[in-house]
Amino acid sequence: MAQVNLRNVVKRYGALQVVHGVDLNIDDNEFVVLVGPSGCGKSTTLRMIAGLEAISGGEIVIGDRVVNDLPPRHRNISMVFQNYALYPHMSVRENLGFSLKIAKKTQAEIDQAVDEAAEILSLTEYMDRKPGALSGGQRQRVAMGRAIVRHPDVFLFDEPLSNLDAKLRTQMRTEIKKLHQKVNSTIVYVTHDQVEAMTLADRIVIMRDGHIEQVGTPLEVFENPANTFVATFIGSPPMNLLAGRVSKDRIVLENGLDVPVPGQFSDKTHEGQEVILGFRADNLMPVGHAMPMGGASAELDMAVTLSEPLGTETLLFTSIAGKEVQAKMLNPRPVAPGERLSFQLDLTRCHLFDAQSQNSLR
Amino acid sequence: MDENRHHRLRARTLKGLQLFALFIAMCFICIPGLWVVLNSFRPTVEIMAKPPVWIPQDLNLDHYRAMFGGVGEGGVPVLRYFTNSLIISVTSTVIAILVGMAGGYAFARYQFKGKAAIFIGLMLTRAVPGVALSLPLFIVMARTGLIDTHIGLILVYVSLNVPFTIWLIDGFFRQVPVELAEAAEIDGCTRWQAFWKVEFPVARAGVASAGIFAFLTSWNEYALASQLTRSTFSKTMPVGLRDFTSEFTINWGGMCALAVLMIIPALILTFLVQKHLIAGLTFGGVKG
Amino acid sequence: MTRFRLPAWFVLLLPAIIVLAAVVLIPLLLSLYSSFTSYRLTRPDSLYNWIGTFNYEKAAKSAHFWAAFGRTLLLLTIALNLEMLLGLGLALLVNQVTYGQRALRTIMMFPMMFSPLLVGFQFKFIFNDNVGLVNNALQSLGLSNTAIPWLVDGQLAFFSILVAEMWSSTSVFAILILAGLFAVPRDPIEAAKVDGCTPWQSFRHITLPYIMPFIYIALAIRSLDVARAYDIVQIMTNGGPARRTELIWTMIGRTGYVDAKMGYANAMGYISIFLAIFFTIYFFRKLNAARAELGMGG
Repeated sequence: MAQVNLRNVVKRYGALQVVHGVDLNIDDNEFVVLVGPSGCGKSTTLRMIAGLEAISGGEIVIGDRVVNDLPPRHRNISMVFQNYALYPHMSVRENLGFSLKIAKKTQAEIDQAVDEAAEILSLTEYMDRKPGALSGGQRQRVAMGRAIVRHPDVFLFDEPLSNLDAKLRTQMRTEIKKLHQKVNSTIVYVTHDQVEAMTLADRIVIMRDGHIEQVGTPLEVFENPANTFVATFIGSPPMNLLAGRVSKDRIVLENGLDVPVPGQFSDKTHEGQEVILGFRADNLMPVGHAMPMGGASAELDMAVTLSEPLGTETLLFTSIAGKEVQAKMLNPRPVAPGERLSFQLDLTRCHLFDAQSQNSLR
Repeated sequence: MDENRHHRLRARTLKGLQLFALFIAMCFICIPGLWVVLNSFRPTVEIMAKPPVWIPQDLNLDHYRAMFGGVGEGGVPVLRYFTNSLIISVTSTVIAILVGMAGGYAFARYQFKGKAAIFIGLMLTRAVPGVALSLPLFIVMARTGLIDTHIGLILVYVSLNVPFTIWLIDGFFRQVPVELAEAAEIDGCTRWQAFWKVEFPVARAGVASAGIFAFLTSWNEYALASQLTRSTFSKTMPVGLRDFTSEFTINWGGMCALAVLMIIPALILTFLVQKHLIAGLTFGGVKG
Repeated sequence: MTRFRLPAWFVLLLPAIIVLAAVVLIPLLLSLYSSFTSYRLTRPDSLYNWIGTFNYEKAAKSAHFWAAFGRTLLLLTIALNLEMLLGLGLALLVNQVTYGQRALRTIMMFPMMFSPLLVGFQFKFIFNDNVGLVNNALQSLGLSNTAIPWLVDGQLAFFSILVAEMWSSTSVFAILILAGLFAVPRDPIEAAKVDGCTPWQSFRHITLPYIMPFIYIALAIRSLDVARAYDIVQIMTNGGPARRTELIWTMIGRTGYVDAKMGYANAMGYISIFLAIFFTIYFFRKLNAARAELGMGG
């Protein structure tokens, strides 16, 4: 088992730089998820760890070895690809045992490792089929089985669930998490889906344009986003953001409406500062809907434009200072478009960002 | 009601016409070949008969017996030519496939400057008419002593086949996802192992059909062979057929037998690869 | 120490480049040089007798050359167009068939395995004025009572050669276009039907653009070895009788080997090479354009 360290890792294609000096320390047995919109450099970073892309600068350490120029086969890693990359001309058994055969293990060793992996992933019935005769979920499991037979130092996953339908995706997500608990090893996992990131990760790494925006546990990045990008990227629905200016301990929004500066930010703002107020739908609720007692809050009277009942709760679309925001209603009841409701904004859970740098003022 | 019947009738007539046209087309395709095959079994008298004999009265193997017997019909040592053709075609095919596989892989897997230009450049060498190429080749080979040798013709056929082999193999390797080789490398393979253990087996059928195509080109080539071979030591089947027709124009049956002997290997091999061949040509072409 | 290494793609392409340079490029350079000399096979020292563009001027002034050149262009134009149309028709017919289509496709491959020389021989036999299938059939059916001299009369011989050439190559078009027809998506055609297109309109506006790249692939492949018509002509008429079916290629062969005038033959050879290269580049460009139109480039 091993930790992975990235030190100022850079990737350039000619003049185009796609990864800008990434620093990241992944602990032994940690499950780290790289997440970000497409083109943010997360897959490139993963492929550099795998050795499939050469690094243009910096240093990658796996265990205590610098692996900068080592080919993939000398890094003791395994990888699950987005399209599974199963060998179409080999049966499931041969697919699983391929890496051991290449490593010149004895047939007995191979059989034992393969059977063990098949057991874990309940593939025993399909061992003699070719990948072409398997369903999407089964192929996914073979791909994971191929990764675990080698007992690698590090598992790499490149968007492994994106080709599955919604139901299977949730199911496989759980299986991956269980697998991690069973085989106990370092995992680096790439996805563009923030729900996957939140549910799987010990720590999430949010990337954008080749930079790391924030690293933290799922709760940390959810509760304390470092900037507006993370705030809108993590969490569903995305955080509501309203531009404003600080004036006499209040934040004046664009149409003159104002709310008090939340207490936790009172000594971090200065008069006249351009700021962005952020809050999640969960913190804007109609009056009387389970607001915590005693917290500072602001009351707003607004018309609902659209409601989306989700069963246990209802999303309400309304607007503040000309900008559409989403609110949430627990104990749902039907809400007609145009209906005016009195909303309560929980100021203790609000975020404040500097408008210039977009960074959190916390 | 009436309108429906009108359309139904029209559809049926159209269908009938289509089938008829198809039948005629298939006749045009088949009859010339069958005519040659049929006549290889008929005695010369019957072929020459006036008025023509339409229903064959007497089918036998005389022409084949004459062809294989002794030095062969009309001084053409058929077996010798057949072996020459076989040696030259097989050897040049194996080499062309190895060279073409390296080149095709380079085009399918690597990005580099001037890729399209190099590709077109390679293809253009194939466009040089055989007879125009044969003149300087004749001079060069005469000087280097390669004329009238197996090696000389093998070398020529390799270069003739390489562009097309590259085109086909490029197409087939492009259908193999890059991730397969990457997965193999992560599974502990070297680049070389990843190619031979994963990419090559997956594209194997395609490579085989490229090979058969190359074989057929060599087997059937005439323009260059006719100038670069001089004696029975290296003359190939097409040259033999040509010699036969120019010197003994009367023996149609014997020539038909020779033609049948020439077509049989081609026939078998083409049937084996028809599916892959079309896939390779269209894939390489359409997906650029 | 970092050792300079050749890029992998270059190493992989090297064998191909070496072989082609040795067998095609260098001989072609030699022939380019010799086309400016009075080189005769029988007099090796004449290779160093530089005569400038004399051979090219001679060709340009030769009526025989222009006749052969024109005849070659005419044959190629007629043959390629007819082959394409017939191939398209055949492919559409086969595409309609649901039962036994595999068998039909196999039969269509049939002419492709015939060596051009064999095609020439086959049609020489079929068009033979004395024992040929065509004359026998015409006489038996009472359509003609004399033996028609198919390979002796200039125009009939041209026609016979055209038939042979088309027989050997139409199926290349048919097969590739058929592959294209399989690749045409169903949805747009069904949408067009519902939108009120006649069969002809939906063919013209939807099917045809989709199969255009396949037609150009076929044309590009054909243009790579248009000169195989040489084999056919060589055995059917050998350019004769009295040069009436002379193509540029048979003329080159005769001038070079029979008359031993290598320099002159090479000069004409170069003209034929440029003709072939022109055709090839033209069709490759068309292929790229058709591909780009369908968004399949890259």
